[in-house]
Amino acid sequence: MIWFLLAFHVVVVAALPTVGARIGRRALWLAATPMAATALWSITRLGSSEVITAGFQWVPGLDVAFEFRVDAMASLLSVLVSGIGALVCVYSVGYFSSSAASMGRFAATLVAFSTAMVGLVWADSVWTLFIFWELTSVTSFLLVGFKHSDPVARIAARRALFITAAGGLSLLAGFVLFVDAASTARLSEITPISGSTATAAAILILVAAATKSAQFPFHVWLPGAMAAPTPISAYLHSATMVKAGVILVAVIAPAFQDTDVWKPLGLSFGLATMVWGGIGALRHVDAKLILAWGTVSQLGFLFALLAIGTPKATFAAISVLVAHAVFKAALFMVVGEVDARTGTRNINELSGLRSAMPITFAVAVISGASMAGVPPLLGFPTKEAAIEAAIGLSGTERLVVAGLIIFGSILTVAYTTRLLIGMFAADGPMPDRTVAPRRRAMSAPQVILAAASVAGFVAIGWVTGVVRSAAVTVAPDAEVYSLYRWPGLTDAFITSAVIVAIGLVVGVLLTRRHVASGPVARGAANVDRGIDGTGRLAQRVAGRVQHGSLPLYLATTVIVVCAAAVPFAGEIDTATLYWWDNRVEAVVAVMIVAVALAATQVRSRLGAALVLGAVGFSVAGLFVANGAPDLVLTQLLVETVVVVGFVVGLGRLATKFPSPTRLWVVGRVLIAGAMGTAVAVALAGSAASPTGEAPVRELAETAQTEGGGKNVVNVILTDTRALDTLGEVIVLMVVAVGILTLSTRRNRTDLPVPAGETSAGLALVETGRVEEVPQ
Amino acid sequence: MISRISPIVSLAVRAVTPIALVVAAYALFAGHNQPGGGFAAGLMLGAIIVLRTVAGIQQPRHAPVWLSVGGVVAGIVAIAPMLWGEPLLDQVVVTWDVPILGDVKTGSALLFDLGVVAIVVGLVISLLDGLDAASLGDRGHRPIAADVASIETGSSDGAST
Repeated sequence: MIWFLLAFHVVVVAALPTVGARIGRRALWLAATPMAATALWSITRLGSSEVITAGFQWVPGLDVAFEFRVDAMASLLSVLVSGIGALVCVYSVGYFSSSAASMGRFAATLVAFSTAMVGLVWADSVWTLFIFWELTSVTSFLLVGFKHSDPVARIAARRALFITAAGGLSLLAGFVLFVDAASTARLSEITPISGSTATAAAILILVAAATKSAQFPFHVWLPGAMAAPTPISAYLHSATMVKAGVILVAVIAPAFQDTDVWKPLGLSFGLATMVWGGIGALRHVDAKLILAWGTVSQLGFLFALLAIGTPKATFAAISVLVAHAVFKAALFMVVGEVDARTGTRNINELSGLRSAMPITFAVAVISGASMAGVPPLLGFPTKEAAIEAAIGLSGTERLVVAGLIIFGSILTVAYTTRLLIGMFAADGPMPDRTVAPRRRAMSAPQVILAAASVAGFVAIGWVTGVVRSAAVTVAPDAEVYSLYRWPGLTDAFITSAVIVAIGLVVGVLLTRRHVASGPVARGAANVDRGIDGTGRLAQRVAGRVQHGSLPLYLATTVIVVCAAAVPFAGEIDTATLYWWDNRVEAVVAVMIVAVALAATQVRSRLGAALVLGAVGFSVAGLFVANGAPDLVLTQLLVETVVVVGFVVGLGRLATKFPSPTRLWVVGRVLIAGAMGTAVAVALAGSAASPTGEAPVRELAETAQTEGGGKNVVNVILTDTRALDTLGEVIVLMVVAVGILTLSTRRNRTDLPVPAGETSAGLALVETGRVEEVPQ
Repeated sequence: MISRISPIVSLAVRAVTPIALVVAAYALFAGHNQPGGGFAAGLMLGAIIVLRTVAGIQQPRHAPVWLSVGGVVAGIVAIAPMLWGEPLLDQVVVTWDVPILGDVKTGSALLFDLGVVAIVVGLVISLLDGLDAASLGDRGHRPIAADVASIETGSSDGAST
């Protein structure tokens, strides 16, 4: 079933771009099918203790496996991911106008994201989890930048990718250390680990989770990601992707309970985020940004609860996670509908929508109240559990954690009140706007989600069972906790009553305070500056390193070769050196040196090419002296082609070399001398310490028996070491393709050619000085 | 221009062409037991193509075709043994009883070599193309400044349109 559902997703993703172009908006219904199927299957498995696994070894040698494991926790999460995904697809049908282009691309990317997310929550092996984690980053990038003609969306998408991808690298490093310390890659086999490796892994994984779940100070990408169409924000930035970090923290927390850093670092991330997000939500006037900052705050809340690490807090965190996914998705849909039907999301410009949009108003009030933690809604018992877990701590911890969580909750109530009054109450400036008619596809998903918030409260026993069975997979002691419809007059209840009361007052007070515009996003601007700066730095470095001067490239190569040859100098054993094998070699060697020296003195280019050819032919003579006919043949042929090629190429250049300066001559002599010395030293050094017997005999035998040929050299090339030949052949092809690409580009005058790459540029760089090109 | 100035060069290159082809074929087939092989054969063909281009007899064309055919042939020969569960590049030796020639021993290595020949030829042609050798045959040596004119008239390889 796991494979089937994943394959279903993949097939739909593959089909949508082509099919979507033809069926337009209806592609979204097709997109909803795999998600709905997954959601339904997961619902049947809610609360079940049965575990379904699937997987295969991917890299057996490294114990890297592709493994899925659907337990109670994974089922619960995939209900949220796929269920909300399907609802978002339906909502999108209403959100986008029927003429909206590129619906196929939108639907395909949405399903691709959903696939990645389902894979992430089902993953058992950390490597599987990592792959899907990265896939969610990439698909999220595509979705945030969906309106790619809009520069704001492009920059926001780039920022989101930059931060989450950096987190991905941190996660990879963290997982490597984790697997090393825990000696298992399976999340289901986690045992507590400690030590310095575990500490490092804990920090890296927490940072990764914090980037994904928009924890302070990495939260800057999330408000920017609101540049995406609202259905995407409702899906990715409320219910699913931003939860990935929280989910990761939840499932991997048992491993790090014993490390010193896990809890303080996680709590710092979470509490700072909760408070800062709440403050941010109160500063904005764009309803969608209010929700985005509210999401940041809620994610911090979840992070903090999970970092506390007590079974009670974990249980509360999972219940809050469920409640949050339900109400936040509904609220985003509400804002999207308000935006689509009135044309603005600014709460200063909106007012009195209560009568114009009654259904939306009802959904907003129910979901908002659930977010604020007001009965009779699912948000109330879950928040209650969370506060109880926080005030159940002791000492300073209780003071700080409970204090900040209560403060954050007051902010939550305040911004919820501000949002609801701002959009719906009739007291503000009346909008001079017409409200477009309602679309059923937009209303239905909201109503379902709002109803779920109510139903969750009514069927609290069932919800408790589902949450509990999920919580015990990571914290076995969570068995004893329950959610209560009416907890009685406990400390937690009184605390929440106070929270709601203060929050209401603050919210009402802040609602109509006129704020001209939202605060400047300094953090986001800094990230953007960092990204741009990196790009510019890279350009400058590349400009320095890739200067385009051939002599300097050659000099660099030679210097590196010389440095590499230095260690060989100590290896040389003069006793192993002798002058020649036979006298002919000496004669040929003298010839080579003489011709090579001559090559440096020739003044005409054609002459130099020919003399160089002569050097090559003389080297062939050396091979003759050693009885290597294959080498001779190849050498002669190569030299022939090269010399003729030179002749062809020289047609483009002046016939004579420019007269060199003194410095130029000295430099070239030095470089040539260094290169020659380096090669000689390396050869002499390696000749001094032969390792084992030369493989000649063995090769000669296998050539006959296995290769079926008498020419050992060629049998080596085509059989014994054919893989090498294949590699060389591929190199040749790459070179040829490179040449073809360059020459095609040169022949296309409509393309701008960068400086230094024109054919005249060749003449310019050849001597390092400008050369007169004859007209 | 070269070809027009010097009919001797042109004629000589034409006369040498069939000989070079035979020698290249010999090198290819002999490679298994004698000096030769795919690389040498490819270079011989490449050399004759260079000469013909310089003499203005032919244009360096179809480099992508040579490259892709060679790549595909070599690739198939490399991968095919894996279909039968043999290791990559495992070679099959076949002995045929051919009339006149008698027993001829050959193998999949020969096919692999054919791929190498095609790739080497493709490389040489693309080098010539890169050096814009085609225009040599047409107009002889020209300084760079005159290049622009030929690009604009689209004489080099038609890509300018």
